[in-house]
Amino acid sequence: MPFDPDLPSNHLIYAIRARRDLYENFPAKLKAAAAEYGLSDEEVQAWRDVNVRRLGELGVHPYFLPQITRIMKGAANNNSRSAAAQAYKRSMIDGQ
Amino acid sequence: MAKIVASMALSHAPGLSGWLDSVTPQQQAQIAAGFTELRRRFEAAKPDLIIGVANDHMLNMPMKNPPDFCIGTARQWIGPAEFFREWLKMDEYRVGGRPDVAATIERRALGEGVTMMHADTLLFDDNWSVPLHYLTPGHDVPLVPINMNCINAPIPGPERSYRAGQSIVRAIREDLPADLRVAFIGTGGLSHEPGGERYFDVDETFDRWFLDLLGTGDVERILAEATVERMEAAGGGGTAELMAWLVAMAGANDKHADTVFYVPAVEMRCGIGAVTWDFDGKPPA
Repeated sequence: MPFDPDLPSNHLIYAIRARRDLYENFPAKLKAAAAEYGLSDEEVQAWRDVNVRRLGELGVHPYFLPQITRIMKGAANNNSRSAAAQAYKRSMIDGQ
Repeated sequence: MAKIVASMALSHAPGLSGWLDSVTPQQQAQIAAGFTELRRRFEAAKPDLIIGVANDHMLNMPMKNPPDFCIGTARQWIGPAEFFREWLKMDEYRVGGRPDVAATIERRALGEGVTMMHADTLLFDDNWSVPLHYLTPGHDVPLVPINMNCINAPIPGPERSYRAGQSIVRAIREDLPADLRVAFIGTGGLSHEPGGERYFDVDETFDRWFLDLLGTGDVERILAEATVERMEAAGGGGTAELMAWLVAMAGANDKHADTVFYVPAVEMRCGIGAVTWDFDGKPPA
């Protein structure tokens, strides 16, 4: 599915980058953030699983997908061996 | 009539500050040498203002119906935004702005049909933080940032990008104070695909083709061949940041670009390079 600017996940990722209260330790806040932004159960599950392939299929903008891996897995030292990049690889490349 | 004393374009990939030590020692050395030379050319020009064009990364512009450009009107910028500091491995910096210059450029651009909004708050990510880190590590040259929509379709193609650049250049040369020395830069690229299946790839063939194309100085051919489609084929959602380079090209007197360096840095997930125009080895008069 192409980018859907009305998809709640897009509103969440757009906003989160300016909201320290959300992005710090975000995985623990996913449920509350999902409620605040109106994410569907399917979106929440994809966030929880760091299933960026599925989020892309739902209409999340591709540019946001690596950011989601960093929000969920950490942003430091984001080389190809980082937890975030490996999560991206598992979902988008390996299809797991 | 202000003077464009430096015309250049460069990559702004986050790995250039965030995980530079992850690329091979040889590539680290090539990147360091390349940016050292680029900075030498920048400093030789003695600019007292940077007017720059870079991808907005869907960070500040609206997600729906964004304009092509958003010019920053603040007196001071603070970057990187907190969210990006750990990623970029970069502490907070502050750099001056020029709201008067921004207003002048915006007025000219809107009058000439360029779609441009303005903002006095912009979150900075790698788009400005990485170029400033390499060009002006002391952050002592003020910046007028012009964010560009390079990834939220429909995006401006080569003709529209270049025409926008010409409008900005007319504002610089005809509307700004005569004693102002401007570095006009574009940042972004080269090939990369954030958010796609080629996230871990670099298209070296495309990158070298693009740099060679800029080297021809043939504007008509560049605008005909450096299309959005060609860039997307080399890496979707990222490579089209090179449209900012075509904006910057408008500031060059001699359109033959000189490639300062190029490194196909796969570990950066981005082709890394830079070009300058008009640099003849001597500081401009």
